[in-house]
Amino acid sequence: MNALYQRSQSAASSAVRIGALLSLASTSLFASDAAHAEAAHGLPTAAPKILEFVNNSMIVTWVVAALIIWGARKAMANAKEVPTGGQNFWEFLVEGLHNFLAEILGPKLVKHTFWFFATIFIFIVATNWFGLLPGVGTIGWSSHYDPASPHIFAHVERPLLRGGNADLNMTSAMSLTFFAWWIIWALRANGPVGLFKHIFAPKGKESGFMRVFMIAIFAMVGVLEVISILFRPVSLSFRLYGNVFAGETTLESMQQLVPALGWLIPIPFYFLELLVGMVQALVFMLLTSVFTLLICEQHEEHHDEKEGHAH
Amino acid sequence: MNILAELAGNFHIGFAALGAAIGVGLIGSKAAEATGRNPGAAGEIRNIAIILAALAEGIVFFAIYLA
Repeated sequence: MNALYQRSQSAASSAVRIGALLSLASTSLFASDAAHAEAAHGLPTAAPKILEFVNNSMIVTWVVAALIIWGARKAMANAKEVPTGGQNFWEFLVEGLHNFLAEILGPKLVKHTFWFFATIFIFIVATNWFGLLPGVGTIGWSSHYDPASPHIFAHVERPLLRGGNADLNMTSAMSLTFFAWWIIWALRANGPVGLFKHIFAPKGKESGFMRVFMIAIFAMVGVLEVISILFRPVSLSFRLYGNVFAGETTLESMQQLVPALGWLIPIPFYFLELLVGMVQALVFMLLTSVFTLLICEQHEEHHDEKEGHAH
Repeated sequence: MNILAELAGNFHIGFAALGAAIGVGLIGSKAAEATGRNPGAAGEIRNIAIILAALAEGIVFFAIYLA
């Protein structure tokens, strides 16, 4: 037993494990699962490449971004006092988001952070829903196609298009962008010293021995806080990727369940995915805005207090 | 040993999913209760519930990647 254990330890040395953790986007982590998935016609965890440096999720991302930019520009090309049609839709969307975020962030903070959260929400919703269109994930290169029974859906190994957020690179990029902006906003609101104090300094007004005690405790709490802050981009990207990828896999499995009924069985799950796509975009926007509020809000309250005392 | 590792991983994800499901269920039931008691705060309760549910289910994704 002991020898067996040691052998397995040496096979999966700690360096390999750390490497696997860091390269989550690659299939190496699911190497053993990939073999099973191949047999069960599941989806690969990493987006297949179409060209060198271009995978199918990236194509969807570009198409969606181009559609949003084109749609918004076309709708607002000749903006009117009383909006109609496309202009009406975009104004409703942006105004609704602004009111929603102003309620959470407060009127001050929303002014210079609104652009980010609104963009993130519109883009994630559009990408998630674009991934549900017929043809995404079902048109591509397949080795399972059987000319004798063309009406039976064949598993597609390299689809031309794949949901944009079903690629961990995309969600990581978004959450890391947020993390960079979060640091900038935190520094702008608190200053470097203020940010350090915000995380490590004790809150409360004890004195004497209790003061020393509280400083020690809050220093420890600060360390925990830093770890939780560092894990935020990881959990943000995993959450979005996990939900969208799981949805794609569910649809794929339902299509394979009864080959002759592949057109019928996934339909209820499409409605579930519509809901999930919306909720996950909302969750990403809400979490990022709440994280921003948590680090910036303290300062504004202090500011108000000082102003209150001065008056 | 391989089978054992695979089993442990499956249990790992299974228990994480069980815990997250219980957590999300509790959040949902309390959110519905809170909305019933104070319908005026429905919007705020919904926001809090969505954020907390997202945090609870985030654990499952960590479990999936770490198992």
